[in-house]
Amino acid sequence: MKISDLLPLLPILLISGVVVLNLLIIAFYRNHLLTAALTGAGLIGACVSTVAVYSFAPRQVTHLIIIDGYSIFYMALVFAAGFVVTLLSYRYLELLEDDQEEYYVLLLLGTLGSSVIVASSHFASFFLGLEILSVSLYALIAYNRNDPLGIEAGVKYLVLAATSDAFLLFGIALIYADTGFLDFTQIAKSAGSGHVGLIIPGTGLLIVGLGFKLSLVPFHMWTPDVYEGAPTPITGFLASVSKGAVFALMLRYFTKVDIHTNNSLVLVFTVIAVASMFGGNLLALLQNHVKRVLAYSSIAHFGYLLTAFLASGSLAVTATSYYLVAYFVTILGAFGVIAALSGCRGEPDLLSSYRGLFWTRPMLGGVLAAMLLSLAGIPLTAGFVGKFYVMAAGIGSHLWFLVACITMSSVIGLFYYLRIISVMFSKIPEDFEETGLPDVSGIAAAGLALTVLTLFLVWLGIYPSSLIEVIHKMMSSCA
Amino acid sequence: MLDLLWLIPALPILGFLILALAGSRLSRKVQSCVGVGSVGFAAVLSSAISISFIVFPPPHYQYDQTLWNWISIGNFSPTIGFHLDALSVCMILVVTVVGFLIHLYSVEYMADDEGFSRFFAYMNLFVASMLVLTLADNLLLLYLGWEGVGLCSFLLIGFWYKEPDNIKAATKAFVITRIGDTSMAIGLFLLFNELGTLQIQELSVRAAQQWVVGSTTPMIAAALLLGGALGKSAQLPLQTWLPDAMAGPTPVSALIHAATMVTAGVYLIARMNVLFTLAPMVQSAVAIIGLATLLLAGFSALAQNDIKRVLAYSTISQVGYMFLGLGVGAWSAAIFHFVTHACFKALLFLAAGSIILASGHEQNMFKLGGVRSKLPVTFWTFLIGASSLASIPLVTDGFYSKDMILWQVWSSPTGGFWLWLGGVFGALLTSLYAFRMVFTACFGPAKTQLKHRSSNIIHIPLIILAILSIVVGFVELPHNIGNFHLFSDFLNSALPSFQADKIDTNNELALEIIAGISCFLGILISYVFYFKRPEYPERFFGGCVSQKIHSLWQSGWGFDWIYDSVFVRPFVRITRLNRNDFIDSFYALVSFVTTSLHKGLSLTQTGRLRQYALGISIGAVLVLLILVWL
Repeated sequence: MKISDLLPLLPILLISGVVVLNLLIIAFYRNHLLTAALTGAGLIGACVSTVAVYSFAPRQVTHLIIIDGYSIFYMALVFAAGFVVTLLSYRYLELLEDDQEEYYVLLLLGTLGSSVIVASSHFASFFLGLEILSVSLYALIAYNRNDPLGIEAGVKYLVLAATSDAFLLFGIALIYADTGFLDFTQIAKSAGSGHVGLIIPGTGLLIVGLGFKLSLVPFHMWTPDVYEGAPTPITGFLASVSKGAVFALMLRYFTKVDIHTNNSLVLVFTVIAVASMFGGNLLALLQNHVKRVLAYSSIAHFGYLLTAFLASGSLAVTATSYYLVAYFVTILGAFGVIAALSGCRGEPDLLSSYRGLFWTRPMLGGVLAAMLLSLAGIPLTAGFVGKFYVMAAGIGSHLWFLVACITMSSVIGLFYYLRIISVMFSKIPEDFEETGLPDVSGIAAAGLALTVLTLFLVWLGIYPSSLIEVIHKMMSSCA
Repeated sequence: MLDLLWLIPALPILGFLILALAGSRLSRKVQSCVGVGSVGFAAVLSSAISISFIVFPPPHYQYDQTLWNWISIGNFSPTIGFHLDALSVCMILVVTVVGFLIHLYSVEYMADDEGFSRFFAYMNLFVASMLVLTLADNLLLLYLGWEGVGLCSFLLIGFWYKEPDNIKAATKAFVITRIGDTSMAIGLFLLFNELGTLQIQELSVRAAQQWVVGSTTPMIAAALLLGGALGKSAQLPLQTWLPDAMAGPTPVSALIHAATMVTAGVYLIARMNVLFTLAPMVQSAVAIIGLATLLLAGFSALAQNDIKRVLAYSTISQVGYMFLGLGVGAWSAAIFHFVTHACFKALLFLAAGSIILASGHEQNMFKLGGVRSKLPVTFWTFLIGASSLASIPLVTDGFYSKDMILWQVWSSPTGGFWLWLGGVFGALLTSLYAFRMVFTACFGPAKTQLKHRSSNIIHIPLIILAILSIVVGFVELPHNIGNFHLFSDFLNSALPSFQADKIDTNNELALEIIAGISCFLGILISYVFYFKRPEYPERFFGGCVSQKIHSLWQSGWGFDWIYDSVFVRPFVRITRLNRNDFIDSFYALVSFVTTSLHKGLSLTQTGRLRQYALGISIGAVLVLLILVWL
């Protein structure tokens, strides 16, 4: 490794630097605003620095990290999402009685882990990144120590993530035993030589580990419990950054190894995709807890995404990337509204507490409605265009069965999204008393984040080609 | 200059967004500034763009502005793009200028209404949609505007939504135009399937190359598009919604249901002229439908008592003239009549609105009267509008446009004597009902107290429109009077010029004289019957048969009754047979299956960690089984 190799790693190094800086500052001087501002600035800086790094791409830094258009795109996405989570968290944390500052250190570490994952070209760096992400998430999920649900969620995630990591590690070990490599390119070479051995069960166990992180059926059962218990901005982080990074890695690995040559592997993913679409949507159907609805919804969305993953060709990469961006915007927006609505007495969790929201808080109600419509895939939102591209990719690769499943399960999904919207529009209950949200600072930050997300949502819905062009440009170097 | 084209629809959209999002927090003054100002700026801008278009014409008299590609899949890549040519120049000028005057008028008309900002938000949205419709360079974007104006029409007819009757009228308008819209949508699918594009220019070129005149496919496509045009423009057999649409505020009737939206069908046919030329049978059907509509609506207008319903039937009838023109290939004449009609009909509606406002919402013209002395400005402008509608020769713009249509109907190879005769008879009816309205509503003693409250804000639009109703006619003069063809020469860059099989100016003069006589005859009859001898109608038409005919005309030839008995009641009967809804049981089954699956799956969400871990293990076993054994 040469000194000049450090420069392409600038975004990652920047985040690590801010982590250390924050730790030092907290040790000497506790100030919520300062830490939050520093975190936000660091994430923005990292996001901007990805543009600078683009001139180095593609560049292999040691065997572990590759900086190409693909990883830069996802890094930027991860940092931007981390920034939005920071904005949404500020007000939420003001409501906590505990110390707030460490939260940001953990959040930065989670973002750091995710960015390592999307840039890794080697199982060692992947696992390293994954553990940085997971360990910070254990603490973040249980951050509110006074909330028994939070503690429960944290412990559940800890135990199950450890279990799934065991599967993942065992899978990697089997692949290594078979091929003698941990490097993706080398593994792809040996797998491509027609050799059949331990690599097959190894890949199977790898899928179990990844499936857990992506909460795909049947590895999904933890999702609603953890999403419900975690602080809402962290739920947004779990649903977007953590999942998106792992998916980006999965796409990179399986594109290299070329799953299309292995019919039984395709079959496994098809079964998982169909089970996730239907499982997620059916579980959400009559659910009265809004955070759980969104948890199930995110399961279904990754089922849709697997269709594009299984499709081949450049349209598949475009479709996945577009879908992920649209999904990030939407799910962060939806959890953002819930976070913005939470007061001293906790979060509005049951559907009934959203009754008449559109009349009492038209702005927040409108944003949530827009996000739900996008999740349902209604035209003029980002979600529609994303789903359109996913289906186009599926049709292009003749995955008729999967496309039919998307269509059917989307109809089921429409029901529970519209149910929430109809509740928001219904009459304000008689006994409603205007309590008002607690008066803490940071409303402006959350408002800014939600406004930007909504604008993005509509912009991507009516002018998708702008993002498509960016994706084409970034992906041309690797796909 | 031309590259500012996108701003024209963007300004009213901006106005709509401001009023919709923040309207209730603004003061009345700001609301009206935003509402009127957005359309006002659009009017200024479109005038400037039109001038620049005429003075410095772009190559081929066409200017295309592609903003972006909405989506791109295979060969389907509809753009968000605008196309400016002579036809769309005319359209945007009328929409923005007349629209602006009506918006200005509404500030006073709606001053006491609690839904003030909602009203202007809808109106701005309407203007924006109408501009998108006229400027769209592809049929998909045009369809967006088409549906947008339909939505605004629905919202504004039912603007006073607390009256159940208004909601019914709005629903009726929406449902009936929907029949046409569905037909149009199918037409678009067919065109895309056959020609592989929805870009209007490209589509016209390909259609002309690929299809021969009179073959089946263009015929079906044109007929389907015609369906859409009939619904939107309230022509037979989809005309029944327009008289009821008068339930909306009067400025709405002026803007949407007279000047602009109802002529969208005319625009569509003119825009797709290549397709209609390829389908001569459908084009003849356009002429015949136009003629039938203009006659039936003319008779119905004669029997109405409500001043706004007279104007509504008159609109149907005048749009019928435009269809008649389109049907015989008199493209420019039809568009010319659209322009003049927009001016004088908007004027008539606004003047009627001023009377209605002054009389405390009395719309029955037999209970009005005395407008001449009490509201002089309103009276004179109303008179000018009515004269133009009746097309009094030489001095009104209605004369020049209607004469142009009639003359071209006469001399067109697909027209001829009978169509012309119908048109002339229609002109007689027109002047009859126009002056029946003038004599009963404006002359004589005031039967309802008229409060003079019309302020300048109401008068300015009336006066400007009255001036327009006279001078606009002089941009196009017949061969024997002036022989001045500014308008049709301009339009010929966008529309095919009129192909006559015989031009003889002797005949033309004779035809003009006949048309003039029919106009004065109508005025004379109404003078005798409704001014000189008001007892005559009762005496001559008091008999049983004439009473029946009168009520038939008044109900618009009983179309509502026919549709009610042919479609609505049988449908209700069928649904009653199906009271237990055996079709729905299928859907009930779907919902039963999904909810049971939901309940079943929910059982797995126990919250117990060990079972979750078990789930992961079972999943792992399944994955390995599939991978290793299959």
